[in-house]
Amino acid sequence: MKPKVAVIRFPGSNCDRDTVQAFQSLGAETKIVAYDREDLEDATHVVLPGGFSYGDYLRAGALAAHAPIMHALVDAVGRGAIEVLGICNGFQILCERGILPGALFANVSGQFRCSWEWVEVLTPPARWPGFRRGMRFRLPIAHADGAYRIGNSDREALWAQGSVFLRYVDPDGPDTGEYNPNGSLEAIAGISDGPVMGLMPHPERAMQPWLGSKDGRLFLSLWLQEVPQ
Amino acid sequence: MTPDAVGLTAKEAERVRQLCGREPNDLEWGLFGALWSEHCSYKSSKRVLAWLPKEGPQVVAGPGGNAGVVRLDDRMEIAFKVESHNHPSYVEPVQGAATGVGGIIRDIVAMGARPIALMDSLRFGLESNGQRLRDGVVAGIGGYGNAIGVPTVGGEVYYGPGYAKNPLVNVLCVGVRQSKDAIIGASGARAGQMVYLLGQATGRDGIHGASLLASRDFSAADQDMRPTVQVGDPYTGKLLMEATLAAIETGGVAAVQDLGAAGLVSASSELAVQSQVGLELHLDQVPCRESAMSGYEMMMSETQERMLLVLNSEHGGEALAAISQWGLNATPIGRVTASGRYVLYFGEHEVANLEASWLVDGCPLTPAGKDLVAPAFKPMRPSPAYMDEGFEEGFDEGALMAIASDPDCRERRPIFQRYDSMIQTATVWGPDHEVSVLTVDGSPWGLALAVSGIGRWAAVDPYAGGAAAVSVVVSRLATQGAQALGLTDGLNAGNPDKPEVKQAFEQMVLGIRDAARALDVPVTGGNVSFHNETDGAAIWPTPVIGGVGRHFHPTAPVADSLNRSDVTLLLINPALSPSLGGSVWERQHGVLTAYPRVRLSDLAHTVTWLRTAAADVDSDIRAVRVVADGGLWLALVKMWLASAPSVGMTVTLEAVHAVQRLLSEEAGQFLAAVATSRVESTLLKLQSNAIGCLVVGQGHDGDHLELQVGCPSQWTRRWSRSQMRAAWQSWEGDSGGSGTP
Repeated sequence: MKPKVAVIRFPGSNCDRDTVQAFQSLGAETKIVAYDREDLEDATHVVLPGGFSYGDYLRAGALAAHAPIMHALVDAVGRGAIEVLGICNGFQILCERGILPGALFANVSGQFRCSWEWVEVLTPPARWPGFRRGMRFRLPIAHADGAYRIGNSDREALWAQGSVFLRYVDPDGPDTGEYNPNGSLEAIAGISDGPVMGLMPHPERAMQPWLGSKDGRLFLSLWLQEVPQ
Repeated sequence: MTPDAVGLTAKEAERVRQLCGREPNDLEWGLFGALWSEHCSYKSSKRVLAWLPKEGPQVVAGPGGNAGVVRLDDRMEIAFKVESHNHPSYVEPVQGAATGVGGIIRDIVAMGARPIALMDSLRFGLESNGQRLRDGVVAGIGGYGNAIGVPTVGGEVYYGPGYAKNPLVNVLCVGVRQSKDAIIGASGARAGQMVYLLGQATGRDGIHGASLLASRDFSAADQDMRPTVQVGDPYTGKLLMEATLAAIETGGVAAVQDLGAAGLVSASSELAVQSQVGLELHLDQVPCRESAMSGYEMMMSETQERMLLVLNSEHGGEALAAISQWGLNATPIGRVTASGRYVLYFGEHEVANLEASWLVDGCPLTPAGKDLVAPAFKPMRPSPAYMDEGFEEGFDEGALMAIASDPDCRERRPIFQRYDSMIQTATVWGPDHEVSVLTVDGSPWGLALAVSGIGRWAAVDPYAGGAAAVSVVVSRLATQGAQALGLTDGLNAGNPDKPEVKQAFEQMVLGIRDAARALDVPVTGGNVSFHNETDGAAIWPTPVIGGVGRHFHPTAPVADSLNRSDVTLLLINPALSPSLGGSVWERQHGVLTAYPRVRLSDLAHTVTWLRTAAADVDSDIRAVRVVADGGLWLALVKMWLASAPSVGMTVTLEAVHAVQRLLSEEAGQFLAAVATSRVESTLLKLQSNAIGCLVVGQGHDGDHLELQVGCPSQWTRRWSRSQMRAAWQSWEGDSGGSGTP
C-alpha cells in the first residue's frame, strides 16, 4: 500500500511546510491536517512536526498533547492503524501525551541550540527494520528543551524494551559516549515504542547536500519503509 | 494637556494651531505629539535621506512604504528592510529585542511577502553591563525569531564604549512575494471600504514608546521608562503573519499597515495618506484587553502583534474566512471615506477631526546642510598607535593573537547557535559565513545577503565610515558573483539637535550616497534612530547597511575556505598606502584616527571583474573573502581556520609598512586563493583590467600558518591550528562551549 502521510498542524507549528515538502520530495502523498480535526481520514503515516505549538506556553508540547486530533491519534495507534513520527516539538508532544515514555527538559546550557549533529542508531526499532545498529545520520537540532529524562523505575524498561533508538555521537572524537549537545540522558536523541518514533533532530532539514546533509532522505525513507531514492 | 507634555516644541505647537485653525483638544494634541516625534516624523533626517539614490530597473518599491521591494526574476520579488529597536532594548533587553524582530517581520508581511530570513546588527559596551544587555538581546531575538519560524541567517556584533549605555539592536528582515500579486501596502484603500483591526487586543502597553522613549536622550533616571516597552508574543505573531498572508492571497485585502511605533494613530493616518483617502474610526469598537481604556490610550498603545486591514467588497468575505482559519478575529473599527478627513468617534461623539496629512506630513522638517560634497580627508599618519616602521623592533606575535581574539574579531558561534538558522530549509550558507546564501522557492536564482556597519570606522570620519559600510556589503555580495539589487540603511546617531551630531549624520549619509552611486546600487528603504545618547555621551555614528544580491548558483556558493593547498594567495585591489585608521589595532591602543577613504572607482571596477570571475563555474578562484575588521591578517586567519585540516598557509610580506599592510582595514580589498597552476593567467586578467594585486602567500600541506616578513625573511612566526583556534574562539565567561562572545 502506498503510504499516505498526514502532517498535523497545531497553532504555532512552524516546521509543517518543511516537513510536507520533504515527504513530497520522496514521492509520498502528503497533506496537512489541522489540529482541530477529529479524524485522520485515510492516513497511514502521521507526522507531528517541529515548532512552538501554542507558543510552548505552560510547557513545550503540553497544550498540543490535548488537541482534538490527538484523541484520533491515540485511538489509531491503539488499533495499530498508523505509524507515527514526532520531530522536535512533535516528540515533546508525544511524551507529554504519554504516547512515548519520558520527558524533554530544558537543555543543560539553559539556551536554545541550533547546530549540526551526528546521531547513531543504538537499538533498531522492530517496526522499522531498515534502521540498522551503528547507522549514522548527520542531522541538525534546533531546540531549547531537548534533554531527555525518564524516571528511574522506567529507565530499565526503556532499555529492556529496546526503545533507545538514537543517540548523539561525536564523529571526530573517540567513541566515549560522552558527547552530548543538550544534556540528554545517555545522549539520547530519539526513542521508539511500537509504531511510534520520536526524535529531537530534524531529518526534514537534511534533504539536500547544499543544506549541509542529505541524510534526512535516507532517514525518512526508512521510516516510510520505502526504497531510499 | 499642554503641547510640551506630548513632546512638541513651542514652534511645532504653533504650526499645529495654524493647520487646525483652532486650539486642538487633548486627544488631538496627543496624536500630533506621537506622529511629530523624531521616531515617526523623521523630521531631522528626511531632507538628508533624500540625497540617497533610490532608483534602478529592478526596484519595485522604494523608500516610504513598509519595506523596499526589488525584482529577483520575472516571477519573484524580494521585500527587505532594516529597523532599529535600540531604546527599548536598553530599558528591557529581552522584550525590547523581541518586539524589534516582531515589528520588522510585520513590515515585510504588510508588503504581502513571506519572511524568509532575519539578520541582526548588534552593538554593546564591553563591561559586564554590556554582557548582561547582550545576553538579554540575544535571548529576545532568538525567543521571537525561533518561535515564529523565520531563520536568523547572519548578522554582526561589535563593541565600543559609546554603546555601553546605548546598545544598538538593528534587525533586517527579508521576504519573498510573487510578482503577479498586486503590490500590497498601505496605498490601495478606496472610499466605502471597511477598516479592520486584526490580532492582539489593545492594552495599555507601550504608550508613548515612540514619542518619549525613542525620541529623547536617556538619563540615569530613565529606568522608569520600562512600562513604555511592549511585550512580544511570537505565538500570536506567527498566527498574525499566517492570517495576514492568507487574507492577502484571497485578493480581498485592499491595503495593509502594521501597527508599530505610535500604534493605531500612526498606522491609520499613514494608510489614509498613502491611499489619499479619509478615514472614520470608531474607538469604542476597538477590542481592548483592559477595561475603561480612553480613546487617547487606544490611539497611542503600542501593543504588539496587530495589523490594520482594509478589505474590498468583492473578496473581503473570503479574507475574513481565511483569517478565522488561523484562529484570529478581524474587528471592523471604521470605514474609508472620500472626504480626506481623519475623524475619530467614541460612541456618538466626534473626538478628533483632522487631516491625516497634517499628522503624517505636517511636521516642520529640519533643513539639511547644503554642502553636498564629500568633506576633505584629514589623515593622521602614521597612526600614533604604531610609530615603528619595522616588524623586527617593536612587534611581537602576541599583538597578532590579540587581534584574532579581540571582541570585534573573534568567532560568534556561541551567539548564532542560539538562533534557528535553518528553518524553512533554504539556508545554504548561514551565520558561520560573512555572506549568507539562500535558495528561493520558485526561482532558479537565490539570494546573497550581507550586513555591515562598523561604528569604529565612522567614529572620526563619518563620511568614510558610511562609504565603507556600503563598500563592504557590496564587496561581500560580489565574492559570491551576486548582483547587488538593493540596500537598506539603518542609521544610528546621537541627539540631532546638537550641531556636531547633525553634521556627522549628514556626512555619514553622504558617504553612503557616494558609495551607493559609485557601485550602482539603490537604497530602497531603512530606518533612522537618533537620540542614542545617555547622560550626554553619544554613540559613534553607526551606519548599518544591509544588502540583497541575486545569486546565480545558490546551491554552489563560491568558497570562503580551502580544501586543497595548491593555491597562491592574492590581495586584490590592495590599499595604495595602507592605513591603520579606525582599525581594531588602533582601538586596542586607545586611539582612533580617521578611517581611510575607500577608492570607490577602483572598487567599482574590481567588483565588476570579481562578479564575473566568481559567478563563473570554472573560476580559477578557489576561495575569496573581503578584508574588513582585523585587516588582511584576520581574513587570512578565518580562511585558514575554516579550511581542511591538511591545508597550511605561508604568508610573505615586504618589510616596509608590513604592520599596516597586515592590519589596515581599508574596505575594497579582497583576499583570494587562486589555483597555483592558473595564477599567471589570473594575474594577467587583473592587469589587463587595471586592477591592483599583490601576491601575499602560498598554500602548503601541513597544519600551520607561517608569517614571513622581509625578503630575505627577517621575522618569521608560525602557529598551529589549535593555537590559533584557541585565540579566535576565546569567549569570556566560556563554560564548555556555551559562553557567548
